[in-house]
Amino acid sequence: MEAWTLLLGGLAQALTLDNLLMAAVGALVGTFVGVLPGLGPTSAIAILLPLTTVLEPTQGMIMLAGIYYGAMYGGSTTAILMNIPGEVSSIPTCLDGYPLARKGRGGPALGIAAIASFAAGTLALFGLVGFAPWLAERALAFGPPEYTALMLLALTLIVNLSGRSLAKALAMGAAGFLAAAVGLGPMSGMPRFSYGSTSLTGGLEMISVIIGLFAVTEVFKGMEERRAQITNTKLGRMYPDRKELARCTPSFLRGGAVGFVLGLLPGCSAAVSAFLAYDMEKKVSRTPEAFGKGAMEGVAAPEAANNATSSAGFIPLLSLGIPSSPPLAVLLAGLMIYGLAPGPLLFEQNGPFIWTVIASMFVGNAMLLILNLPLVGLWARMTRIPYGIMGPLILLLSTIGAYTIRSSLFDVGVALAFGGLGYLFHKYQWPVLPFILGFILGPLFEQSFLQSVSLSGGSLMIFLERPMSAGLLAAAVILLSFSIRLKKQTQKRISEEAGDFEEIA
Amino acid sequence: MKVKWKAAAAAAAVLGILLSACTSGGSRDAANYPKKGIEYIVPFSPGGGVDLVARAVAEYAGKAWGQPVTVVNKPGGGGAVGAQAALKGAAKDGYTVLADNNSSTSMLSAGLSTPPVAITDHLFVSKIVEDAPAFAVSADAPWADFKAFSDWAKAHPDQLTWTSVGPSGFSSFAVAEWMKAIGGDFSKSRMVTTKGASESAPMIAGGHAVLAVHTVAELYPLAQAGKIKLLAVVADQRSPFLPDVPTADEQGVTGLTVRWWTGLSLPAGTPDEIRAKWDALIAEMVQDPAFLEKLKNMKMEPAYLDSGKFSEWVGNESNYLTDLAAKYGIRK
Repeated sequence: MEAWTLLLGGLAQALTLDNLLMAAVGALVGTFVGVLPGLGPTSAIAILLPLTTVLEPTQGMIMLAGIYYGAMYGGSTTAILMNIPGEVSSIPTCLDGYPLARKGRGGPALGIAAIASFAAGTLALFGLVGFAPWLAERALAFGPPEYTALMLLALTLIVNLSGRSLAKALAMGAAGFLAAAVGLGPMSGMPRFSYGSTSLTGGLEMISVIIGLFAVTEVFKGMEERRAQITNTKLGRMYPDRKELARCTPSFLRGGAVGFVLGLLPGCSAAVSAFLAYDMEKKVSRTPEAFGKGAMEGVAAPEAANNATSSAGFIPLLSLGIPSSPPLAVLLAGLMIYGLAPGPLLFEQNGPFIWTVIASMFVGNAMLLILNLPLVGLWARMTRIPYGIMGPLILLLSTIGAYTIRSSLFDVGVALAFGGLGYLFHKYQWPVLPFILGFILGPLFEQSFLQSVSLSGGSLMIFLERPMSAGLLAAAVILLSFSIRLKKQTQKRISEEAGDFEEIA
Repeated sequence: MKVKWKAAAAAAAVLGILLSACTSGGSRDAANYPKKGIEYIVPFSPGGGVDLVARAVAEYAGKAWGQPVTVVNKPGGGGAVGAQAALKGAAKDGYTVLADNNSSTSMLSAGLSTPPVAITDHLFVSKIVEDAPAFAVSADAPWADFKAFSDWAKAHPDQLTWTSVGPSGFSSFAVAEWMKAIGGDFSKSRMVTTKGASESAPMIAGGHAVLAVHTVAELYPLAQAGKIKLLAVVADQRSPFLPDVPTADEQGVTGLTVRWWTGLSLPAGTPDEIRAKWDALIAEMVQDPAFLEKLKNMKMEPAYLDSGKFSEWVGNESNYLTDLAAKYGIRK
């Protein structure tokens, strides 16, 4: 395989002292930026892009890729420790990560997240090296009808993550979709639910809503419980033990595989793959009732998926110039500024450059692991900071995060309002997860559904005539029936084992 | 305990940066302009054409004036949200400027009978960059050239599916104008809405929709990759980046005028000295080799117009597009 020899050449380049330094700086800056909610990889890369132009192209790209990976990882740190998902894709990490932190197991959870990210990122890079052009070609066959079917499949998760009452879950899913519908309609371009306000015409920003429902709600809950600190137990071990690692290894692989395949599709976000991986892990688990209360596998799988999606996103980017996510769009801009137009020609004309960048992604992934594992203990101790300090700090970070995305005070108001709503949802046991799924997936489903119907001239047969979309629809139906059965079983087992029932979200 | 202080210090630092970037108002002293940092609002997401040009301009202006010029992305409502924030929600003191584009000016007022931001809300400073639209179809599409494709579209308008960000998006105007030029029935063709070129170009490459009209800069990577075929560029001359793609005129399809452009605007009512300072700076910038090199790498070309000519240009474009929109049912 020629690609591997070229990669080795690239690796030799990436391991020079200068380039190692760039990877380290990128990973560090990225992690720091990712820890701050709202300030995700997109804004980090956009802000730092002009600074990297003083570097050579190779070094600049290495640093930008490091920032990208670092920010993805940093988002999971706050998700686990403070229940603030820095990125939408970190939400599934919150579900089990935060309960683990509250049990004093934040350290091992962070360790598992770091190892999962590393393992999946590395696996995905092997895919990138081996099959990039071939895979990119296949991904183009995935059109609007296939996306519609995929979103429908993802929406079946509502049933599985619904908590006690299916009716409540469906209502919350619908409410989430309605909240997402605020703003300009995708087909008509006309404002919906705007009531004449320009802020509402711009729609509700996803990150503000999520910061509200998770972080701000958590502060309200902490106030009500008069919580002293996030964890009251001793911190104990800081790293996952061998047994935990062994148990999570299949989760790394499954999550990584789901993330990699979905990451190839332009426009399929890391959030979708992280949710699907989490759900799959719950379905194959022998103890699905432990999910949502602190299952290590519930951290491992979505973290692996999220990182594999990020790495796989480089395949359509480098071989076709298609950015599959907003941060990659900014990276593409970075490539263009250096005068490098992505595409198969990039591999031919700028071979050494591209292989060095790919190799430095391996290096960057390893760097993240090396930099972050020693920090795990430090981060985990944050859960013992008195809540009187932590609560206001979380509110402060949430405010900054909500403001930063669009530089808008309206978004801060939205975060606070959804914080209040989230508190009420919790208090009266309305599950929040279906709301979020409706909010994220609803508009994606609507858009691809409308696209498909425009393409077919109004006929719904387009979904059944194409083998891939028909297959995905069939899978959705099978998963749905499986989910309903699993849900019944889980509930039975829970009521057998314990009287009181805690909502999953 | 150490950690807490670190986190608190980091938060305070970030808050400080944010606050210093947000302070506005104050000095009316236009002669000493700029005396503090300038906020440069881009009404679109980072990474797009308007954003890239704005970042290059911000860097140049920041160096020339020794004051930070910070790009702030306020996407939403097809450019309306950011334009409104810059033109109506900020002081008219020159410390908030707008990266303007068709979508936040002429196409907005052509598409909506009561646009949230009117043409008269802008004080047009300079046009900076123009980019030619190109007609893209799948690489294995059966049409050899633009003429053949136009004939097909005229004969089968009901099979013509094309992508746009919305009914009054850039591509809608380009397609409506083209259908008018070739005598096709625009109302029978079918629009597929997408989030923009990054979603629509793969859709064309995969053969899911027939036609996409985007700028040369946006289509360049997939065209180079051989996944899409560019049938024509809409420009007076061929694009220097795509010398093999003939213009629409060359292929006998005349009357196509829609162009993509970006420039800089201030809120109407800003002191004239400030407008003049910016215009002079941009006139200088479009001669700067480093700036030109950057544009070249982004596959864009400078197309400077001074304040007077720029306002006239937008006015004409707006009237023309409003007529077109009314005639073809694009206007709401």
